[in-house]
Amino acid sequence: MIDFSKRLIRSPQGAAGTIIVLLAIVIAAVGPDIAPYDPSAMSPLLRYRGPSLAHLLGTDEYGRDILSRLLFGARSTVTMAVLSTFLGTLVGSLIGTISAFLGGRADEAIMRTLDAVMSIPSLLFALLIVNLLGSNSVNALLAVAITFTPAMARITRSVALAVRKQDYVNAAIARGERGLYVVTREMLPNVIAPVIVETTIRVSFAIMLFATLSFLGLGAQPPAQEWGLMVSQARQYMHLSAWMLIWPSAAIAIVAIGFNLLGDGLRDVLNPRL
Amino acid sequence: MVTEAPERVLDISDYSLDYRTVTGPFHVLKGIELSVKRGEILGLVGESGSGKTSLAWSIMRYLPRNAEEVGGSIMLSGEELLLKSPREMEKVRGSRISMVFQDPGTSLNPTLSLGQQLSEVLLAHRGLSPQQAWRESISLLADVGIKTPAKMMKRMPHEASGGEKQRIIIAAAFACEPEFIIFDEPTTALDVITARQIIDLLTQLQTRTGVGALYISHDLALVSQAAHRIAVIHRGEIVEQGTTDRIFETPERDYTKMLVSASPDPRQRLVEKRDENAKGDLLEAKDITVHYGRPPFLSGLVGHVHSPIIGNRSVSLAVKSGEILGVVGESGSGKSTLAKALVGLNPFSGEIVFDGRSIRGIRDMDRNYRRNVQIIFQHPDASLSPRQKIGEILSRPLKLYGRPEATLPQREAIERLLAQVRLPAAYADRYPHQLSGGEKQRVAIARAFASRPRLVICDEITSALDVSVQASVVELLIALQRQFGTAYLFITHDLNLLRQIAHRIAVMYRGDLIEITDAGEIASNERADYTRRLIGAVPLPPSHAATSFPNRE
Amino acid sequence: MSLNYVLKRIALIVYTLIIVSLLVFAITQILPADAAVMMLGENATPAALAALRARMGLNDPIWLQYWHWLFGIVRGDFGISLRTGQPVGPMMFAALGRSLLLAVLSLGFMLCLALPVGIFAAIRRGRPADMIIGLLSYVGVSLPEFVTATVVVLVASDWLQLLPPTGYVPLTRDFWKGISHLILPVVVISIILIAHVSRMVRSELIDVLQTDYIRAAHLKGLSRRNVLFRHALRNALLPTITIVALDVGYLLGGIIVVEEIFSIPGIGRALIVAIQTRDLPAIQAGALIMAATYSLVNFAADILYAWLDRRIQYD
Repeated sequence: MIDFSKRLIRSPQGAAGTIIVLLAIVIAAVGPDIAPYDPSAMSPLLRYRGPSLAHLLGTDEYGRDILSRLLFGARSTVTMAVLSTFLGTLVGSLIGTISAFLGGRADEAIMRTLDAVMSIPSLLFALLIVNLLGSNSVNALLAVAITFTPAMARITRSVALAVRKQDYVNAAIARGERGLYVVTREMLPNVIAPVIVETTIRVSFAIMLFATLSFLGLGAQPPAQEWGLMVSQARQYMHLSAWMLIWPSAAIAIVAIGFNLLGDGLRDVLNPRL
Repeated sequence: MVTEAPERVLDISDYSLDYRTVTGPFHVLKGIELSVKRGEILGLVGESGSGKTSLAWSIMRYLPRNAEEVGGSIMLSGEELLLKSPREMEKVRGSRISMVFQDPGTSLNPTLSLGQQLSEVLLAHRGLSPQQAWRESISLLADVGIKTPAKMMKRMPHEASGGEKQRIIIAAAFACEPEFIIFDEPTTALDVITARQIIDLLTQLQTRTGVGALYISHDLALVSQAAHRIAVIHRGEIVEQGTTDRIFETPERDYTKMLVSASPDPRQRLVEKRDENAKGDLLEAKDITVHYGRPPFLSGLVGHVHSPIIGNRSVSLAVKSGEILGVVGESGSGKSTLAKALVGLNPFSGEIVFDGRSIRGIRDMDRNYRRNVQIIFQHPDASLSPRQKIGEILSRPLKLYGRPEATLPQREAIERLLAQVRLPAAYADRYPHQLSGGEKQRVAIARAFASRPRLVICDEITSALDVSVQASVVELLIALQRQFGTAYLFITHDLNLLRQIAHRIAVMYRGDLIEITDAGEIASNERADYTRRLIGAVPLPPSHAATSFPNRE
Repeated sequence: MSLNYVLKRIALIVYTLIIVSLLVFAITQILPADAAVMMLGENATPAALAALRARMGLNDPIWLQYWHWLFGIVRGDFGISLRTGQPVGPMMFAALGRSLLLAVLSLGFMLCLALPVGIFAAIRRGRPADMIIGLLSYVGVSLPEFVTATVVVLVASDWLQLLPPTGYVPLTRDFWKGISHLILPVVVISIILIAHVSRMVRSELIDVLQTDYIRAAHLKGLSRRNVLFRHALRNALLPTITIVALDVGYLLGGIIVVEEIFSIPGIGRALIVAIQTRDLPAIQAGALIMAATYSLVNFAADILYAWLDRRIQYD
């Protein structure tokens, strides 16, 4: 574990990614507790302020403290993104592994169908699902999870197939090992690594998708502090105060970049050294 | 030849090369002293990691970014190459020094035609017009034995065989009448018979043009066919140099002696004759046929008749108890397919008879069969799960089949397995990537022997190993056979090795079993056509004094 | 490229379109009883709801509704918009045309930048230029379109007063004014694509430059230029076709957001409006047309790739 962490920090991507993601997780966890102000506390006299000692990131159109809003909003953005990716990966990798295991025509049929499902662009798919279920955070989470499932299924399947071809799997089968042993002890540990890498990178995509849904008014609803929503509402007051726009945008970008970097760092570390 | 002393085409003196790595400089070449005269072929023999390929890059002045030349000189016909600028070297490469590569399959651009890739050398260096270069190329192809040169020019690489591609690469190397050519293992990726043809072509062309050549290989026997002199390289140093005969008859240095004795010589038998009266057939395979491939999706609709690819066609053979049955054949002969069918990794039709039981498919392979019929694979990297420790890997067969000495606790049983293959007990806690290729293969052997099988199928288990390591693995197998009386189905493409260790040899070609014969009879004139061609194509090392195997690893 | 290959691809695209239509229909109409409520709202009178249900055939079994809908589409009838009362088909296709203009301009712009940047980064691998490009790519790929759009509008329209912030002028009416309205949207959509595609081009080219055949070409004494342009690029750029085709999915997503922000009357905007006004036939038609476009693009890319790469014998 320690050796693993050391190797992760060694690459610049791994180091930067780990720092950002850890920061994001910590803020998601304790953000509300360390926020200097109540995110919904309005101060009509302090609207559209830039950064100052009292309000480190400035205030928005209602005089609410932007920093506090960001800290509160981290919880929903980061948690939702991670959960939805996790859910999509769970279901997707199950489908992918089963398809790889079945092989032959069943595998081909499943894959062709998944390809067909993936012809609906992700954002469109998420929009349709949210439209069906209603516009709120939980439904957005489900929508993003469902959108990711076919892609994760495809990735898991191709990794599983590659692992299946390896001689150590053949050796296990030739030995007469039970199917369950082969899948769980020989294949799975070697399949999980690339899937983890892909999942981490997908979280960054989930963050962007989530924010976009809120931006379009189809995810979190006001007065929630979701970052995408903050950007959407800030647009009208752009010329009054650009800070309302810049900080949540920067937050989204930084966290998305962080997960991206972490994924790349993990890729190098989790590669089995041969 | 001319009366005056032939000049030296290549002269390397005191040349040293380092690679810069994160852990400090790696000394890949140290103080190399080599020279090649006009009209001479110098063989350069070394195992993997010896630096032979790096030397080739150095001569061509095509080094990776982290290479650092420490000192010395490389002279081509008296000109110092180290002083040349990159642009000057571009003019030298391909026209004054050229190279023939190892794998014709990957050395040709798959999206350009063969003719384009041949004529571009002429265009770049001889200043011909495109039409002239094309015509000249056609006559070059004829020179290297291509049957329909004009047609071949227009083909794409995937439309030519390995042998044809290599001929074209050779044509490109000779095209500008170079002073010096480097042959980098030119026959390793080809099958034995084609390899023979290519070597003959090379030596012919070389004699005709009088070019000086460096022939790099890991195979001493092969090099002895083509080279006048041999230099042995080990860990970046030239260990010994001399004429081919001298190196084989009286090798001076220990490393050279080891290489010479490790080269399989069919005249030295390593196994005693099998006791003919011992119990009869252990396993009998009857009419084993293996198909590959499903019909494409719509082929029925469009009217194509789908012919499946045949892996094995009605192969019948028997393995006698305690014998070593060798199976030899080229790639695509079906020998690995057969091996996998026998352990249930390929579906097959036909029958296997083992211990009185008839086995007609994977489902019939019961515990008794599995315990007694084990397989070892070719690539040690791929046959051990990278995420399991050696101890865990070895514990599996013990769990499945029980320990041979039932009273021993698991840990000791594993250590005993390791000791059997001469590996230290501490390896049980290591991961595969911490072991060398030869050590990993020993672990695979230990794993196979854990259940005390009566038959072990060895599927090209030495092909991916260095010659010295190969010799020690073979020695281990023979020792185990003596100890446990196990039979082997030993699959390889190395006929010389089989002639050393097998009792009987089976010859396979394109999915068919051609014949099975006693090892001693394999070179007789009564053999089948293909067998005789195979024997004729396999290079024999020059005779050398028989030495016992020194201990390796 | 064999007949078998083309036939198989055609069979696949038919299958894909059927699945897509099923999905779109299911996601939008899966609760038939509630579809009417979705359209008229919670407070509609029971009579109005009943009338709507009857009119829309919502009392039929679901598979029959699907069949009616699909059959209509095959005949070219996409239904009537609940918002405007006009046929949905012509409206959506006209919008698609404007979106295609945006898409084509974005793809063109993207290729003009992504290819040279990717090639340059590959050649200068490991050096400062490559690292900077790499860093910018990370940033580019992590910026959602609405963020880029907002920032870009802020800078170009508000601060620099260079370009109009929103709106659309058909090119046929006033070419240069129309173009000026399209510049910002095209740039915004392209950023993510440029970052992604240039990264892929870089990695493909690096792989190709490390192959044996490129080394062989160098060792034949061919000039570096020759090796790069004649040997390496043709092999590296071929897979780019597939990557770009797949990225069209993200492109379409970007179009939805960008049309919304810049008020461009394309199919993305039409979809958003349809969703906001619960115009079911418009939602279905828009989604189906978008997904069908994506499938056709991938189909075309497959055929193009196979034709260019004569190595593909059969699938």
